[in-house]
Amino acid sequence: MNINTNAAAADPRFTIEGCLDSDKEAIARPTITYAQDAWRRLKKNPVAMISLAVLVLMVLMALLGPVLCGQDYIAMDPVNKNQPPSAEHWFGTDLLGRDLFARVCYGARVSLLIAVVCTLVQIVVGSAYGGIMAFFGGWVDDIMMRIIEIMRSLPYLLVVILVMMVLGNNIPSLLIALCVTSWCNTARAIRGVVLQLKNAEYIMAARTLGASPGRIISRHLIPNTIGILILNIATSLPNYIFQESTLGFLGIGLESPNTSLGVLISLGQASMEFYPLQLLFPALVLVLIVLSFNLLGDGLRDALDPRLRK
Amino acid sequence: MQTLKYILKRLVEMFITLFIIATATFFLLAAVPGDPLESRADRLPESVRNNLYLKYGLDKPVLERYVITMKGMLKGDFGESVTMPGYDISRLLKETLAPSARLGLQTVIIGITVGLLLGVLAAMFRGTWIDYLVIFFSVLMISVPTLIFGLLLQKYVAGRLHLFPIIGWPKGKDLWLGGWKYTVLPTLTGCFSYIATYSRLLKTSMLDVVGQDYVLAARAKGLSEAQVIRRHVLRNSFIPIITSLPMSVAFALTGSFFIEKIISIPGFGRYYVESVQSRDLSIVLGQTVLMAALYVVVVFLVDILYTLVDPRIRLHK
Repeated sequence: MNINTNAAAADPRFTIEGCLDSDKEAIARPTITYAQDAWRRLKKNPVAMISLAVLVLMVLMALLGPVLCGQDYIAMDPVNKNQPPSAEHWFGTDLLGRDLFARVCYGARVSLLIAVVCTLVQIVVGSAYGGIMAFFGGWVDDIMMRIIEIMRSLPYLLVVILVMMVLGNNIPSLLIALCVTSWCNTARAIRGVVLQLKNAEYIMAARTLGASPGRIISRHLIPNTIGILILNIATSLPNYIFQESTLGFLGIGLESPNTSLGVLISLGQASMEFYPLQLLFPALVLVLIVLSFNLLGDGLRDALDPRLRK
Repeated sequence: MQTLKYILKRLVEMFITLFIIATATFFLLAAVPGDPLESRADRLPESVRNNLYLKYGLDKPVLERYVITMKGMLKGDFGESVTMPGYDISRLLKETLAPSARLGLQTVIIGITVGLLLGVLAAMFRGTWIDYLVIFFSVLMISVPTLIFGLLLQKYVAGRLHLFPIIGWPKGKDLWLGGWKYTVLPTLTGCFSYIATYSRLLKTSMLDVVGQDYVLAARAKGLSEAQVIRRHVLRNSFIPIITSLPMSVAFALTGSFFIEKIISIPGFGRYYVESVQSRDLSIVLGQTVLMAALYVVVVFLVDILYTLVDPRIRLHK
C-alpha cells in the first residue's frame, strides 16, 4: 500500500484522489458489540422471534389482564359457579364463581415473579460464589466445593418442605425455599469458566496494575462468562415455573388466597372430571410460557455460540 | 496401585459426605419448632403422653438424641416410625421399593431407547423435516410438566376411552411381571422427559463428532455411510450418554413423587413427602441417607466409567 502511494506520488502523471493518509486506518463498518452481534443473529431465527413475541404477550397479559377483563381474581360469585367461557368471563368461572381469566393472569404474574426473582438470586449468588472460589483456588476452593457438594446431595424436597413449614405458605418463604440450594449449579459452571480465564493476560495486567481481587472478579472475570450466564438464565426461568407448579400441586407451595399457575392446576385437577377447561386454561398458559422460554433459550444458544457462526 | 489408592480415598470421602448429610438432615428436622408427637399427644393424659415421648426418645435433649440416632445408624438401625407404628425404614423399603423400582426401570428403558433412536434419526437427517419434527417434539415434551401429561392421559386415555385403569398398581405375585395394563399410563407419563432429554443429548453429541477429522478420514477411505455412523460416529458420541445414564437410572429407581401421587402407586417417593411433612425422623433419615448414598455411589461409578469409555481421561489429576 505504502509503496503504491509513494510510487504514485513520485510519478507526476498520477495524483492521489480521496484517500488521505489520515483516514487510511479508519474502520469503515460500525463496530458491533457482543450483544448487538447476538441480537442480529437472533433476529434471523424465526422460531426464537416468535417465542419472544409470545413471551412478551404473556408478560403483558400477566400484568394487564385483570385490568383488561375488569374482573377481580378473588371476588366470589355464588350464582355464577363453574360457568363456561363467555363474553363476561373469558375463561369461565371456577367452583366458587371466581373469574378464571383474572385468576390465570394473576397466577401467571406470581409464577413469573417467582421465576425472575429466584433466577436473579441464583445468578448473582452463584456467579459471586463461583468466581471467588475459582479465583482464589487452593483450600478456599476445596472448602467451598465441599459445601456445594453437601448442598447438592441434600434432597431438594426436604429443604423446600422444611423451609415452608418454618416460614409459612407465602410468596417470600417460597422464594427463600427455592433459592436455598439453587445457586450451586451456577457456581459450578462459573467456576469452570473462571478457572480457564484467570490465567489470561488481561487478568495478569489487571493484577499488575494493582486491582483488588473483588474488582478483578466483578469487572473482568464475571463479564467474560456472560454467555454461560445467559444460557443459565434461559434454562432456569422455565425450571422455576415448573418447580413452583409441582410444589403447588403437592400442596407445599402457596395457599389461598394467594394463587399461582401451580395452585390453579391443582385446583383444576380437583374439578377435572366435570369441568376440564378449569385445568386446561392454566395448564395451557404454563406450557406456552415454558415452551417459549425453552425455544428462546435454544435460539440464544445458537446465537451466542461462536462455533455456529457462518 | 495408584488406582487402588484413588478408589480408597474416594470411599473415605463418600462416608464423610454421607455422615454430613445425615447430620444436616437431623438438625434441619430438629430446627423445625414443635415435634412429631405434638398433634397426637395433646389430648392424651399426662402419664400416657410421657410414656409416648419416652418410647420414641423425644424426651431427651437434641444433642443426646443426635448421638443415639447416629449410633443406631452405624448399626443400620434407624429407629421406629413415629407416624406409622410398627414400621421402620427396612420394612418400608421392602414394601415400597419394588413398585418404584419397576416403574423406574420401565420408564428408563422405554424412554432412553426411544430417545436415542430419535436422536440418531435427527442427527442423520439433519436439516430435513425429520430433524425439525424430532426437535419440536422434544422441546414440547420438556415444556409440558410431567404432572400435566399424567393428568391429561388419566382423563382422556383412561377416563374417556377406558383403555387402561385410572389408578392403581399390581400387587402380590404380579408385583414384578404382571398387571401390565396398570403400568402403561405411569410409564408413558414418565418416559416423555427421558425421550426429550436423550434425543437432544445424542443429537448434539453426534453433530460434534460428525465434524471431527477421523470421520472425514473414515469417509475418505471409502466406508459406506452406515458404517461411518455405526463404527465411528455412534461409538464416540455415546460417551456423554454413557456417563449420564447411571444418574438417570439411580433417580428413576427411587421413584417419582408426582407420578406416584397422581396414579396412587404405593411407592417410595410418595412416603418421602408425607414423612417429611410429619417430621418422622427415622423414616426421613433412612430415605435421605439411602438416596444420598445412591447419589454418591453413582457419581463415583460415573467417574470410573469415564476412564473406561474414554482413555483420554485419567482418574488422578
